[in-house]
Amino acid sequence: MSKIKKFWRETVIFLSILGPGLITANVDNDAGGITTYSVAGAHFGFSLLWSFIPIIIALIVIQEMSSRMAVVTGKGLADLIREEFGVKVTFYAMLGLIYSNIFNTIAEFAGIAASAELLGINKFVLVPLSAVFVWFLIVKGTYKSIEKIFLLFCFFYVAYVISAFYTRPDWGHVAQEIIHPKIPWSREYLILLIAVVGTTITPWMQFYQQSSVVEKGIKLSDYKYTRLDVICGAFVVNIVAFFIVLVCANTLFKNGIRVETASDAALALRPLAGDYSYYLFAAGLFNASLFAACILPLSTAYCVCEGMGWELGLNKKFREAPQFYALYTAIIAISAVVVLVPNIPLVPLMISAQTKNGILLPFVLIFMLLLVNNKRLMGEYTNSRLYNIIAVTVVVFMILLSAILLLTYYF
Amino acid sequence: MNQNKIDINKPTPNPVFTYFSDLIDRDIVDFRNEFVGQLYDIIVKVAQVYPQSAGLIVRRGFPNRKYALVNWEHVEELNPREIKLKLEKSSIVFAEKHDNKEELSLRRDILDQQVVDTYNHRVIRVNDIHFLRVENALTVAHVDIGARGLVRRLGFEKFLDFAVRTFNPHARYLRLERLIPWKYIQPLTINPSSMTIKINVPQKQLTNIPAADLGEIIQDLPLQDQIALFKTLDLPTRAKVFMNIDFKTQQQMIDELGYAEIATILNFLPSDEATDFLERLPQESTKQFLSILESKQAKKLSELLGYSGDSAGGLMTTEFLAFKKGTAIAEIIKAIREKTFKVEPAQFVYVVDDEQHLVASINFKRLMLAPPDDPVEKHTFPKTYYVNLNSSVKEVAYLMEKYKYYAIPVVDDHNVLKGIVTVDDVLSQVIAIAWRRLKKINITPKQ
Repeated sequence: MSKIKKFWRETVIFLSILGPGLITANVDNDAGGITTYSVAGAHFGFSLLWSFIPIIIALIVIQEMSSRMAVVTGKGLADLIREEFGVKVTFYAMLGLIYSNIFNTIAEFAGIAASAELLGINKFVLVPLSAVFVWFLIVKGTYKSIEKIFLLFCFFYVAYVISAFYTRPDWGHVAQEIIHPKIPWSREYLILLIAVVGTTITPWMQFYQQSSVVEKGIKLSDYKYTRLDVICGAFVVNIVAFFIVLVCANTLFKNGIRVETASDAALALRPLAGDYSYYLFAAGLFNASLFAACILPLSTAYCVCEGMGWELGLNKKFREAPQFYALYTAIIAISAVVVLVPNIPLVPLMISAQTKNGILLPFVLIFMLLLVNNKRLMGEYTNSRLYNIIAVTVVVFMILLSAILLLTYYF
Repeated sequence: MNQNKIDINKPTPNPVFTYFSDLIDRDIVDFRNEFVGQLYDIIVKVAQVYPQSAGLIVRRGFPNRKYALVNWEHVEELNPREIKLKLEKSSIVFAEKHDNKEELSLRRDILDQQVVDTYNHRVIRVNDIHFLRVENALTVAHVDIGARGLVRRLGFEKFLDFAVRTFNPHARYLRLERLIPWKYIQPLTINPSSMTIKINVPQKQLTNIPAADLGEIIQDLPLQDQIALFKTLDLPTRAKVFMNIDFKTQQQMIDELGYAEIATILNFLPSDEATDFLERLPQESTKQFLSILESKQAKKLSELLGYSGDSAGGLMTTEFLAFKKGTAIAEIIKAIREKTFKVEPAQFVYVVDDEQHLVASINFKRLMLAPPDDPVEKHTFPKTYYVNLNSSVKEVAYLMEKYKYYAIPVVDDHNVLKGIVTVDDVLSQVIAIAWRRLKKINITPKQ
């Protein structure tokens, strides 16, 4: 009897703590992510599916360090970088973060614009409307209410799963491909593999994850639930990504159709998989882009003010926290306007967002490793030796992949 | 603030100001002018109001950094290029780490860290430290929290100053020095063994900050700092601050400090505020608290918890002054003098019979004017208005406004005096209702 009671109590605690990990992970499936997965599926069929297993592990390892630092120190990543590495390092890191996140936000609004066209809505209506929605949601909401809306966003990713089932995949074949992938070793395959990893693990999400765990005020004794949250998030996000690849592999790849963007993919899907799949795919893209557009400007403004020691937070008025609101508003406004410029090439913009992430990521990961192993900050909660071996391996791999990604873009 | 004009780097016997950012990484040489390393950190002694330099940490080597602690008395000279020591290079022992557990070290504990500004009542991040320099001794004078401090740390000060001055010699930026005197700075360095704040000088004036502001400051801090800062306050301040932090932070405090600790704080709270807090807790926690609290207090609180939050019973406090019929005026005045109150009493004294039935009331003014030997009932108000335990907030507010009461007595069905509702408790309720209305018809009151 008491076992059942204990189970229920733990479930309730877990549900109350659930959030940061799940949300952060899901935001990775943003406009850029969906584009990459669509292209991956269309060009290489099932043969990239295996990569989601190592990605899950890498994601868990990295996100777990962020949330552990958050719970133990009660400080955000930008805070810790400022306190441990000084103002210079922080300043340039924040400059890099603003720069790359503006491109990321533009990519999200580009996703909104693309989905507007797919759904038959004028993008000059939907993009400004989304920008206003994003601004008001954050400025007028509280962390608790916003988190609920965010969790709702997460739920809508089911659209992709449903749309995958509409395409009636051959599950036996899928399973076979995961266990014994036939890897066509080519330059393009490698680039896409790196892109899939790069879009799932980004620099800004480390900042966001840590800040939101801090904001939630999770106790050290409840840390195990946060870890579970992180693990859940990593699985959910990769399962969704898996289904996106599956949809495109099962339809586009089979028919030899090549695509460059998520909206190409949706358009190509229509005659092959039917209207339902098409609309689900488009709605999924809108949901994902809007979701990420909510989080990116906020997380940027939050981190920068945290690191530079400016007043921040949504409970402050504009006069009390001018830098915070200015930055937040500017990022949204710039991104929405850029996307609406006629004839602007959106695909190169989206790709350039990913290269910027690639430059910043190694630094962020190295900071994280140094901080999480700092005894003065973390006490007995530093990485264990084994964990460090895994973490360092993951980080070295991520840095290598980022470097290769950058080289392939520029040469 | 005109120190900019003085060339701070010239060695001079006159007191001059200098910034920590100018000293960091400055070369350190021994008495033979041989290079020892670079200045990494300065350790200060917090004996007086303004801390004095007590030692410095030299750093050398890259990437295998080594550190050494040098006592400040071995400093020969501070000059623009280097810091000269009286020691010989070989006598300085370098180690892998620089653990100085006891002292306050500026780079580790102050620079770039969050501190409490007890003058402006907020949490700030330190961009630079401003020293007063007499001979070779440094005294911490201010902390810099302004934009100029940031720019100086980044190494752009001269460039930006020049650029700004070229365009606008009177630009606001050039005067944007934000120096806070050290005496208003409460550092938040935590002593790792006791988990309390390291330096707690009475001059820091934390207790002078109004409880509402102090509550907000505490909410702005990470959990560890919250607890450490909270622990340095005295019990009555803790009680006041506790009522001024949000529910989530209150719950965290319970988790961190334990029920017993919070229960002692509850004893310092007026009963209506204590019930407000207990009401919001889960039942289990409320029971836990009531079992620890002094039995008298617990009984009172559990009774109050039975009333609905927006009724007179829920609003009332059980701290009031009541005396039996026939008590002499002098005796009442003496009792008022001797009693310590958790809150300001609402200037009313109630007269009850042997069964605690409410008979009459009298205010302080009447008490003072009355002949000391008279029995109290001779001078009470001709009529005393009261409310019932389940009267609504509106009813209470209406009666208090009508009869200009600062407090109104609350009685049960048998006319037994149970408590009083004071004007501030009614106000906060009424204001909340009024706000909702104002929002509906879209009128915002002036700031």
